[in-house]
Amino acid sequence: MSASRLRIVGGTVYDPANGTDGQVRDVCIQDGRIVADVPHGTPTLDARGMVVMPGGVDIHSHLASSACNHGRRLLPEEHAADPAAAPELDPDVAPARSGTGGTLPSTFTTGYRYAGLGYTTVFDAAVAPITARHTHEEFDDTPIVDGGFFVLLGNDEYLLRQVEAGDRNRARDYAAWMIGATGAYAIKIVNAGGIQAWKSGQRNLTEIDEPLGSSRVTPRAILETLTDAANELRLPHPVHVHCNNLGAAGNVKTTMETMEALAGRRVHYTHLQFHCYGRNADGGWTSAADRVIDFVNSDRTVSVDVGQVMFGPATTLSADAPAEYLLQASSGRKWVNIDVELETGCGIVPYRYRERAAMSALQWAVGLELFLLSEDPWRVVLSTDHPNGGSFMSYPALIQLLMDRGARDAMLKRVNPRLLAGSVLADGLSREYTLNEIAIVTRAGPARVLGLRHKGHLGVGADADVTVYTRDSDIARMFATPRYVVKGGVLVVEEGRLRRAPAGRRLRLDPGYDAAVLRDVRRHFDAYATVEFENFPVRDLRDAPLEIG
Amino acid sequence: MTEAARVAHVTCLGCGCACDDIVLTVRDGRIVDAERACPLGVAWFGDGRVPGAVQVDGRQAESRVALDAAAELLRGARGRLFVFLGDDLTCAAQRAALGIADRLGAVADGVVSETAADGILAAQRRGRAGATLGEVRNRADLVLYWAVDPDARYPRYRERYAGHPSALHLHHHARTVISVSVGADAGPPAADLHFELRPEREIAVLAELRARLLGRTLGDAAGWGAELTRLAERITRARYVAIVADGESASEERSSDRTEALIALAQALNGPARAALSTLRGGGNRSGAEAVMTWQTGFPFAVDFSRGYPRYQPEVRGAALFERRPFAAVLVAGAPASLPQAMRPAFDGVPTVVVGPRASEAPFPSRVAIDTGVAGIHDAGVALRMDDVPLPLRAAVSGPPSAAGVLERLAALLAGGAR
Repeated sequence: MSASRLRIVGGTVYDPANGTDGQVRDVCIQDGRIVADVPHGTPTLDARGMVVMPGGVDIHSHLASSACNHGRRLLPEEHAADPAAAPELDPDVAPARSGTGGTLPSTFTTGYRYAGLGYTTVFDAAVAPITARHTHEEFDDTPIVDGGFFVLLGNDEYLLRQVEAGDRNRARDYAAWMIGATGAYAIKIVNAGGIQAWKSGQRNLTEIDEPLGSSRVTPRAILETLTDAANELRLPHPVHVHCNNLGAAGNVKTTMETMEALAGRRVHYTHLQFHCYGRNADGGWTSAADRVIDFVNSDRTVSVDVGQVMFGPATTLSADAPAEYLLQASSGRKWVNIDVELETGCGIVPYRYRERAAMSALQWAVGLELFLLSEDPWRVVLSTDHPNGGSFMSYPALIQLLMDRGARDAMLKRVNPRLLAGSVLADGLSREYTLNEIAIVTRAGPARVLGLRHKGHLGVGADADVTVYTRDSDIARMFATPRYVVKGGVLVVEEGRLRRAPAGRRLRLDPGYDAAVLRDVRRHFDAYATVEFENFPVRDLRDAPLEIG
Repeated sequence: MTEAARVAHVTCLGCGCACDDIVLTVRDGRIVDAERACPLGVAWFGDGRVPGAVQVDGRQAESRVALDAAAELLRGARGRLFVFLGDDLTCAAQRAALGIADRLGAVADGVVSETAADGILAAQRRGRAGATLGEVRNRADLVLYWAVDPDARYPRYRERYAGHPSALHLHHHARTVISVSVGADAGPPAADLHFELRPEREIAVLAELRARLLGRTLGDAAGWGAELTRLAERITRARYVAIVADGESASEERSSDRTEALIALAQALNGPARAALSTLRGGGNRSGAEAVMTWQTGFPFAVDFSRGYPRYQPEVRGAALFERRPFAAVLVAGAPASLPQAMRPAFDGVPTVVVGPRASEAPFPSRVAIDTGVAGIHDAGVALRMDDVPLPLRAAVSGPPSAAGVLERLAALLAGGAR
């Protein structure tokens, strides 16, 4: 079925962006967009008794990058254990591709599996500018989902120089050029200045006023510079911040200081769970989720994604190379570190979160506390930081934990309680997410936070990305196997069967900037880069950049 | 004679350095000069002229006819199929070729399995501590050449990545160069310190060196005690150590253990100081082939699609693939010249399709041969440098149809055949 028109009939619609909370109505589609109505005789999908939502939007994943590919290469045993034969598509379309799964699936399998869960838009959250070409090549092999990425700038040598010089205009123009030159969608900061410190053989920067060489270059200065740059450029998504001091006991101090430093500015904090740890008298980890979420609840300019930890295999993969260094030292697992010239770093350590491990249980609880204490689901969106906290394939199980207190309490009884004493979750949180709230944290919220006006809702003019679920008392099963998934008006999944696998679109920006900056950037390239300035921008990209403003 | 055109910022795939500062002068469709190119680069570009033949059973044919014949041959073959992924292709062409292998349930492999597999396997066991080449250039205050002199096979490595005067983080720290020779594998003659090792001592010395740097000792310096102390002491003083080794070393008996020991050494040096292992890789887009295989299948080489999904068969790779039982048909995607010598006899009598640069000049009989452009000379696209940095390839000279285009058409024909 490749009809340019489609009517999804009689479903119970959850479209929170348009105030629709469980009303029965038709959803009409024409030429890949939602329309008010379609003529009589249009092909239909029967959704009576079913739940209809916009397609899922993953605001923070690692799926298409040079770093991901280093991770894939490191994990042949995972791929061998999870073979993925080519799905049997409709006979009138090009056949699908085989692949392998695990925590870092091959590209085609990644696209199919995301679509199979009803996710139709995904962002790779960490791409080193110099490797942007690689990301575009991988996205070309990642079907169905619309994809974009965030470009790493928080440890970039040229950017740091502008911070040192206090030249915020030039920093902003450079950031704008970088986004356009790499085909990115947003600015990412990972451990501001800390990766540069690690590469220079210094101690990681764990507090926001620690100097990086010059006293003028601190995490605070980097964060402020790039946050303001993103907002002055009116980027649809604000700066996407991975705070300093990830994973450390007591890192809530760093997180709170960061949030206070940027208070009142539009900012997105990512995988917040990894940044909400207190420290007990013995120096061990405790949950500090309540303190952080209080701040998030009260500052309406802030959005976050949770970075929930799910029990099972994971691959920690991050530009935060000093954090990965500590993890390999403590876990003894195999370890990849790649220093990326003039820009950033990359660390990879395979990992497993275990119910019986006290630290895993604490991380699991901290994530849930953030979800359950959140007062505004529009600003606290769902992620596992795939594959860091667990695979995106665990989203249905996570949704079940949010919607079903019984399932949550049963799990709570099984996990190691050692670090959970006195935590809010252990004391009992009765909240259960509603379907409308799930629609917010998995679709409407991330789309709004990303500034994607055509995504995450079912209003007239929206992209016709629609997921239809069969109601099921087993919430995890319900969200794992949608009845239908429609992407851009095309029926791609029906009852667990992939039917079509069209190419997704590239979501990218090309912000304006004062071109005077380029003379200086060229000098920087000529002096220190190993790639010619003329060869740096990625040209001939698919799909026009989205409009800003 | 027409006016010469200059094409600047051209990426050279003569070796894995992938220097992207080459200026080509093109006159009458020929490359007459390759400014800044080393001898390997000059040889890589040549005069830019390649044949543009399309042949079926040795006779000139229409490309449509040839593609149909190729599709029919591959589809109709009864038994195992083999797809060779060449290195003189863009990533786009490699992606298409691997798609064909997937479609056909073939075994897919490429040049890396003959030359670099041991290093890749070692890194799959241990991980690695690496860096892109610009980090070596801007940070390494100690460059340790382990059993390799880059000048021979990677001529501009030192100039571009390890000898540059304007290094961002080396203001007050001169760069020290240490040359370690292991038997016949000599380090560079121009170095601040020289060490020589007998091959049978190499692994023991690397293990002891690592132990010393971790503050321990295995007590086995293999009779190299004073030298080892001197080397360890110098390494300890460095802030950022770049260990440079050949990822495609000719001395096969040692390379696996050597690579693993060097990875372990580089990893151990991180913590108090920083270190990266810079692995030298050969020419063409071989890092691209490895990367494309990895992102499409999860495995970097030696992939068997015969069960309908990718299976990793690193123990049966390269020439060993042909020892078990013959293939029913072979697709060579890339220049036939890039086929490892050891594989060639196995092609005798096997129906073969060749799609790639100079396909029509294959040193073995082929049923279908379709000449294409060369990546980075006639075909625009992307290739990966030896450190996996992706670089743009320019179409500097017009030539036969692009390999990506031909392979995509072949893939579409094979996909159509499913219906």
